[in-house]
Amino acid sequence: MRVVIAEDNALLREGLVLLLTSAGHEVVATASAEPEILPALLEHRPDVAVLDVRMPPGFRDEGLRAALAAREQMPELPVLVLSQYVEQSYAAELLGGGATGVGYLLKDRIGRVDEFLDALERVASGGTALDPEVVTELMTRRRGTPVDTLTAREREVLQLMAEGHDNTTIAKTLVITERSVSKHIGNVFLKLSLPPTDTGHRRVLAVLAYLNRT
Amino acid sequence: MLMKAAIRQAAHATVQLARTVGLAFFSLIFVTVLIIAAVGTIALVGAALLPETVLLIRRLAGAKRRMVSGWTGREIPEAYLPITGPLRERLRTSVRDTCTYADLRWMGLHYGYGLFGLAAVPLWLLGLPLDGLWCGLLRQRALVLPLITRLADLDARWSTALLDPPPKARLAERVTVLTETRANAVAAHGVELRRIERDLHDGAQAQLVSLSMRIGLARRAYERDPEAGRKLLDEAQDQAQQALAQLRHVVRGIHPPILTDRGLLGAVRALAASSGLDVAFEVEGFSPDSPRAPAAVEAAAYFVVAESLTNAAKYSGSDHAELTLARTAKGLRVVVRDEGRGGAVDPAGRIAEAAASGAPAAGAAQQAGAERIGGSGLVGMRRRVAALDGSFKVSSPLGGPTVIEVELPCVW
Repeated sequence: MRVVIAEDNALLREGLVLLLTSAGHEVVATASAEPEILPALLEHRPDVAVLDVRMPPGFRDEGLRAALAAREQMPELPVLVLSQYVEQSYAAELLGGGATGVGYLLKDRIGRVDEFLDALERVASGGTALDPEVVTELMTRRRGTPVDTLTAREREVLQLMAEGHDNTTIAKTLVITERSVSKHIGNVFLKLSLPPTDTGHRRVLAVLAYLNRT
Repeated sequence: MLMKAAIRQAAHATVQLARTVGLAFFSLIFVTVLIIAAVGTIALVGAALLPETVLLIRRLAGAKRRMVSGWTGREIPEAYLPITGPLRERLRTSVRDTCTYADLRWMGLHYGYGLFGLAAVPLWLLGLPLDGLWCGLLRQRALVLPLITRLADLDARWSTALLDPPPKARLAERVTVLTETRANAVAAHGVELRRIERDLHDGAQAQLVSLSMRIGLARRAYERDPEAGRKLLDEAQDQAQQALAQLRHVVRGIHPPILTDRGLLGAVRALAASSGLDVAFEVEGFSPDSPRAPAAVEAAAYFVVAESLTNAAKYSGSDHAELTLARTAKGLRVVVRDEGRGGAVDPAGRIAEAAASGAPAAGAAQQAGAERIGGSGLVGMRRRVAALDGSFKVSSPLGGPTVIEVELPCVW
């Protein structure tokens, strides 16, 4: 895959380049400040962009804004946003309008190289990768909602589904068969009274929309 | 009718004047005592009497202040230096307090003009028959009896002018208050620094030490038993993630990153949106180009909103909350209200109904009392607000609503 990286910390930037190159990807450009991001993306049209939220010159949420601006011009551009901390409202902004190919992860997750690369590929192919912390917060912040009626196993399935994983990965992670994953998902949708949707990105969005609403 | 009103008004003024005359007589006796005390002080006999005498002067002037503001409806402020500490210290403040000297001047003059109040007696004697004729028979406005009111007005005006603390005394009082609040703020800051130090020391630092140890063990194991080495590396990575999570937690506690990114309004809006509650968010006094509050004030306001909304979502049983953020002349006001079941309870089972103040005037005793009323979340909020010299009020009667009101002083 051809990747553009925007990260101001040189150590992390070089680390990301090394990691992606060793995994067989091609880093076509790097940006170390906000003004460089959009031109680099427009010039190289990468398969996926990896952006840090906090960038110079303001050290606020430049990376996030650049990601949103880039997607306005290139709606199909997959972006993976990385941050030192996660904020639910940022996730909502990124996913707003039913966008496909969006990732929002803590920088910590880069350490789990395989999982990180997996998330990157998922985003590049139009899927979703949402940090477990965002999903956990969405699921636990409120009592007395139908989420409470889910069994422990169903909650685990819902959590993984909301993070953007497909049935195969969920089955592997929980060490159960894909058939029982489908069964659990069916139960979850029934209990939350969500309309049954096909697998994939639309399902993730339905779940997130539900969690955001309650 | 006219006569009745005139008599009622004059009677009211007479009561005021009678008190004035009484006070004037009393101050005459008092000035005598004062002179004796002063002479005694010089003779090093009655030195201990001086501070007590000054306190008495203050009580006397205080009585007059209340009396006058009762008549005019306008508060007359006090600006005394507090008389505390050992005798030498008390003596020094007694002699240096400019507001007390102003009180003395008032007392001397009041002895003179206070006796004007006696004029009420002949005015009554003259006024009753005269005004009785004048307005009883001729239906004209009373002439003599209103003069008694004028007399009381005059007394009030002069006393207000004399009892208003001199600018120097006001400044001195302000300095005293500021010194105290500054000391409190510095102490609170110290507590906060120690908390952060402890969090880092017990959390991330300890985890990094253990992480380094595990990597060392993995290196040793690598040659002999690659599988064991792999397991140790897995554990090391877990530990690294935990250390990072811990650091994030500490950073959030110091200054929430979203405040830097989005400012207070944006950050609070994000809180409201992600609270799981239906929050009616109202903003007062902010314009797009308003300057930002100091970072510590913004962080405290954010902390209060986050805690209050979390509590409301968890315990109130209601899914609505009202949130107001107001920029006032004196600072920032935060009000969070939910229509829940109320009865915000502390771990000891007591209900928070008292509005305990986090103001600096609240001494150690009150601080300890406040600790007992608030739950752990409330205690944290109160501390944070008190550190900034703010006020913290919580009202949560059984059956609701719960209202948390915080004022954080700052200069815009």
